[in-house]
Amino acid sequence: MGKQILTTCAYCGAGCQLYLNVEDGKIVSSTPANGRTNEGNLCLKGHYGWDFLNDPQILTKRLTKPQIRKNGVLEEVEWDEAISYTAERLSEIKAEYGPDSIMGTGSARGPGNEANFVMQKFMRAAIGTNNVDHCARV
Amino acid sequence: MSMGIPEIENAKLLFIFGYNGADSHPIVARRIIKAKQKGAKLIVVDPRITESARIADMHLQLKGGSNMALVQAIGNVIINEGLADQKFIEDHTNGYEEYKEFVKKYTPEYAEPICHVPAEQIREAARAYAKAETSMILYGMGVCQFAQAVDVVKGLASLALLTGNFGGPNMGIGPVRGQNNVQGACDMGALPNCYSGYQSVTDDAVREKFEKAWGVKLSNKVGIPLTHVPHRVLEEKDEKKKIHAYYIFGEDPAQSDPDLNEIRETLDKLDFVIMQDIFMNKTGLHADVILPSTAWGEHDGIYSACDRGFARIRKAIEPKGDVKTDWEIISLISTAMGYPMHYNNTQEIWDEMRSLTPSFHGATYEKLEALGSIQWPCRDESMEDKGTPYLFTGGKFSHPDGRGKFFATEWRPPCEVESPEYPYSLSTVREVGHYSVRTMTGNCRALANLEDEPGWIQMSPEDCDKLNVKEGELIRVFSRRGSLMTRVLPTERVKPGATYMTYQWWVGACNELTTPYLDPVSNTPESKYCAINLEKINDQAWAEQCIKDSYESIRKNMGIDTAKKEV
Repeated sequence: MGKQILTTCAYCGAGCQLYLNVEDGKIVSSTPANGRTNEGNLCLKGHYGWDFLNDPQILTKRLTKPQIRKNGVLEEVEWDEAISYTAERLSEIKAEYGPDSIMGTGSARGPGNEANFVMQKFMRAAIGTNNVDHCARV
Repeated sequence: MSMGIPEIENAKLLFIFGYNGADSHPIVARRIIKAKQKGAKLIVVDPRITESARIADMHLQLKGGSNMALVQAIGNVIINEGLADQKFIEDHTNGYEEYKEFVKKYTPEYAEPICHVPAEQIREAARAYAKAETSMILYGMGVCQFAQAVDVVKGLASLALLTGNFGGPNMGIGPVRGQNNVQGACDMGALPNCYSGYQSVTDDAVREKFEKAWGVKLSNKVGIPLTHVPHRVLEEKDEKKKIHAYYIFGEDPAQSDPDLNEIRETLDKLDFVIMQDIFMNKTGLHADVILPSTAWGEHDGIYSACDRGFARIRKAIEPKGDVKTDWEIISLISTAMGYPMHYNNTQEIWDEMRSLTPSFHGATYEKLEALGSIQWPCRDESMEDKGTPYLFTGGKFSHPDGRGKFFATEWRPPCEVESPEYPYSLSTVREVGHYSVRTMTGNCRALANLEDEPGWIQMSPEDCDKLNVKEGELIRVFSRRGSLMTRVLPTERVKPGATYMTYQWWVGACNELTTPYLDPVSNTPESKYCAINLEKINDQAWAEQCIKDSYESIRKNMGIDTAKKEV
């Protein structure tokens, strides 16, 4: 039995509303919804731009496991190791060079507003710097 | 944007400046067509014959990099021909006399040789803009991605002040922003100078509010902008002022930023690079840690559209693999570093943000559920406050005295211009079927089938004849910083001497060529102008093989088993 999930398109800033049509846990198509800005219309990215979630590996592939570079090579590790290693390295650098030696980015893409809020809070409250920015400039 | 997207179709005149809606926002471009159908006049200022230019009443096909001269010449005509709205100027603005004095020398005749637009056409455009009942300016990266960008934005705003095109519906000035949530990342405070809702980090009262809420002392020193990172890594001599660690979240600077050689050097020189993303990408090749996260479609949240409209995104499917949401990953690192952060869902985060951000306070999840979309400011939680379709109601601006400020300054040419060695200009642009760094659209079968590597360079038929190259032929493109191969696309839409490449290709990556020069205020790079040269490749079979090999090696680097799967 399929289901329809209403969401906002992941591409340009027009904020189009669309339904993702899901069957057996996979997205099979999208349908335009009657949003404030798109009024039942979608462009070709809105119609076909969901397929990356099926990971067809045309250009690159989905990341499915944390990795740490060991002796120059990226190796898959468990989350616990990835988190504690990252936290340790950041803490070391902060202790040695100060909080302003660390830069973080927000993301203007898929993560959403809440993830950006958490990121800037992390940089400001946990690291102690205002060195946070994102590709709005690029 | 000072207005909402739906208002575009009701403006009496659209003044479209360096914005190619058909390629970057097709659903916004639809409103431009509807406006035309409803009888609006269309003036397009663009160095290319864009789709909007094709249906425009007037197309000012200016030379790239001359925006400021043109904008001020329009202001000059409006004043000289008595078309300014004196009452609006008196009641709602500051700095008019200085502006008037400054733009005196920017006559259409003065601008003509800079802009390559006939003086008479500048006059006609100025008259039409000033005389229409409601005029709306839409602008895009053709304004912002220059080393003189903020000046032009203020110059365009000055035209709207001059003619009273602020404060009511179907007017104003609208930067139509490129990415789905670039507005949102700014709204949430992913900026070096402000917290959520554009609250300044240097404002003591604001900072104290956040310190109290977060239980920690916060820095009052404005952070560094992203585009300063290469300099702070490669050039900075003082170890204490250097950037040593870079936490890159949902971005791919090794593809999207200018002068990729410099970016790669930067990433390699850093002590510690964290890459948090959904796909392996070029930045990941330089990372020390890779943290895999959920993608759009796999998590909940809110995006901000370019017209300040908040709207929900919703989880549709379960993610595959051992991945976490971005906010959970960040919270775990924070906790491990001794600053505990824990949230159960995005609504908890949003509610914390709302409690600290007056201008977004009223945009609750419940209200978004009921209304679908809310344009900020939305201050009150009651259902009566449905947000704000357009800003500056009644001509009240956000300066402390409520008045809009005029701005004028000298035009500056682009930082790197054509020379005998590099006789062509290059501007980076978008195309409709692919997106940004292309990890998403490049992995959608329908979209990849429409267009794939190595991409195209748009050139005038005259330049193609001169170089003896034909459509589809591979050509070498090089600048002072790098070199690549791409396909020739002859088109009448561009002027001789000017070329254009879309920036999402990995083999034909135009950011190998672009300059790292920045606007001094916004720190946006000058992606719309650099000098290049072009060279015909005689052995096309060899060139085709190079492209094929290069694509294959990229896919291998990204971890794809290329032997197993056909492209």
